[in-house]
Amino acid sequence: MNHPYSYADDREEKLITTEGAEREEENIFLPKPARVLQAQPMGRTEKYFRLAFSDGSSMGHQPGQIVEASLFGYGEIPLGIASSPTREGYFDLLIRKAGRVSTALWNLEIGDTMYIRGPLGKGFPVDEFKGHDVLIVAGGIGLCPTRSMIEYIEDRREEFGHFTLFFGARTPKDQLFPNDLARWREEIDWIEYHETVDQGSPEWKGNVGVITTLFAKTSISKGCRVIICGPPIMYKFVIKELKKLGIPDAHIYVDLERRMKCGVGKCGHCQINGLYVCTDGPVFNYARIKNLEEAF
Amino acid sequence: MRLLFLQKEELEPFVSRLIAWQEVVGPKAKKNRFVFDKLESPAELRLDYDTTILPPKKYFFQPQQDLIRFSPEGFTGCIEPKPRIIFGVHPYDIKAISMLDYLFSDGKKDWNYLANRQAATIVGINVHQVFKTAFFESMGASIVTKGYDLFLTDIGEEGFVVEVATDKGEALLAYGHFTQVTPDQAQKRRKILYGQSDRCSQKLFNLPEEVSEKVALSFYHPIWEEMASRCFSCGACNLVCPTCYCFDVQDMWNLDQESGIRFRTWDGCLTEDFAKVTVQGGTENFRQDRSSRYRHRIMRKAVYLNSKLGGPACVGCGRCASACPADLANPVPVLNKIMEG
Repeated sequence: MNHPYSYADDREEKLITTEGAEREEENIFLPKPARVLQAQPMGRTEKYFRLAFSDGSSMGHQPGQIVEASLFGYGEIPLGIASSPTREGYFDLLIRKAGRVSTALWNLEIGDTMYIRGPLGKGFPVDEFKGHDVLIVAGGIGLCPTRSMIEYIEDRREEFGHFTLFFGARTPKDQLFPNDLARWREEIDWIEYHETVDQGSPEWKGNVGVITTLFAKTSISKGCRVIICGPPIMYKFVIKELKKLGIPDAHIYVDLERRMKCGVGKCGHCQINGLYVCTDGPVFNYARIKNLEEAF
Repeated sequence: MRLLFLQKEELEPFVSRLIAWQEVVGPKAKKNRFVFDKLESPAELRLDYDTTILPPKKYFFQPQQDLIRFSPEGFTGCIEPKPRIIFGVHPYDIKAISMLDYLFSDGKKDWNYLANRQAATIVGINVHQVFKTAFFESMGASIVTKGYDLFLTDIGEEGFVVEVATDKGEALLAYGHFTQVTPDQAQKRRKILYGQSDRCSQKLFNLPEEVSEKVALSFYHPIWEEMASRCFSCGACNLVCPTCYCFDVQDMWNLDQESGIRFRTWDGCLTEDFAKVTVQGGTENFRQDRSSRYRHRIMRKAVYLNSKLGGPACVGCGRCASACPADLANPVPVLNKIMEG
């Protein structure tokens, strides 16, 4: 059987894209140097960094977008941006000491240089959240990328309805951003904050239990828009609770973590079936990916 | 279409002069297989090859490619294309290169690939001997009408009918003695290029479009488990594939421990740690089971990339089938079985 050329004509034209193209010479792997303005160990293995691009440019990101952060000689890792674009002149990252690259980055101090490519990917579609109640469910280091949205809501508070934040950590010692948490516990006028830990400690007076136990502490409106970010195991249990509340899948956004090498939809590592987490995500509408087996 | 003629005895002088002018790579014998390699003399060129161990993508997307050089003084990108003539590329490989051109241009343009690609001149050749596991006819890759600069059709003792497709191809003509093509030679060319079928022993029983639709619905088919139970997760199928383009990025210090390179290397989705991430308290592997990785490769070729390419990301070269130590990478029996059920 000799099949005809199976490609549609318009695709056929698109296949050869180097012909006659202007040579741009842009190397998409080149990072920009950024100076460490603040560096503060946090939790057991995390360290918080405030950075600014050395050339004075701003990140210009959406909440929820990611960067590739690197140190030459060690390598590059993907990280969620932990600050809102509404706060100009700097951006925040959180590094968890886990492997060779993250340990090298963790060791940086004030005045050192980190190398950054980004912003990359698709963040939270903020316009979809405006005019609605918002619930953010963050587990562990999942607080880090969602903090970009928390700050965004704080800074543009009038554009959003009731704002509820659930944060769960393994133990009180694993809680991140302690200054933020202290503030959120106090500043009840703009944020309804609930927290829990999986395992308490003698000093801990708050909730103990998995993050889904926080749903009993408050009421969430049906029209609420929801963001979930946390360890892979957390998603299905949180989504089960949201279903009980009657929140439609299309109003739920999940922020996913994958191995990434290029950040620009080429290297293949972050693929969930046919989707690239680095360019199609890391923020996905749950309705779009709920049937993809490899997503959760 | 502009056609010329090159007499058989004029091939060697043509290739000789090209070698004197620029780097020329082409199929050469290596033990009992063939490889694309630099030609030192035209006698090394084996246009009668069946297929090469690695596809010609290695000249644009190298097995290891430097991306950035760094030192205490700073860092620079390394896009350093080298002009090169790739002589004797089969239609299925030309089609695969066209796909990679698209994939590396899609979204953010990857000039680390594209610059190498632009610097290359591609001279195609019709397939003399069909590789034992090839199925390019089933993938619609036995005939290409673009993606090359010159295309040679061997019409027998007389010589080659040469199609001049681009200005880059035109530039090669000065190095050879070409004559006008006769109507008889042109007819022979058409017959050889377009008139042959059923040369591949491996065949899909359905059109790629039909396969794509059904395979997309076969995520939970028992065949993935069945095939993958013998898979070594070695990734050989990925490494020899002309349309695989996944890579890893790593840093390496030079001996001085001050300077070094950031480079990319070929990677394969069949390997165990391909989708593994470090999470709190351990690792999470999003394609933990061999069957999920085996399925991913076939799905990516048959289904996932269709939305970008408008067709399957497989050209039927048959390299994966011959490279697999467990003899299970051949997609033909897998796809045919899914279509039967």
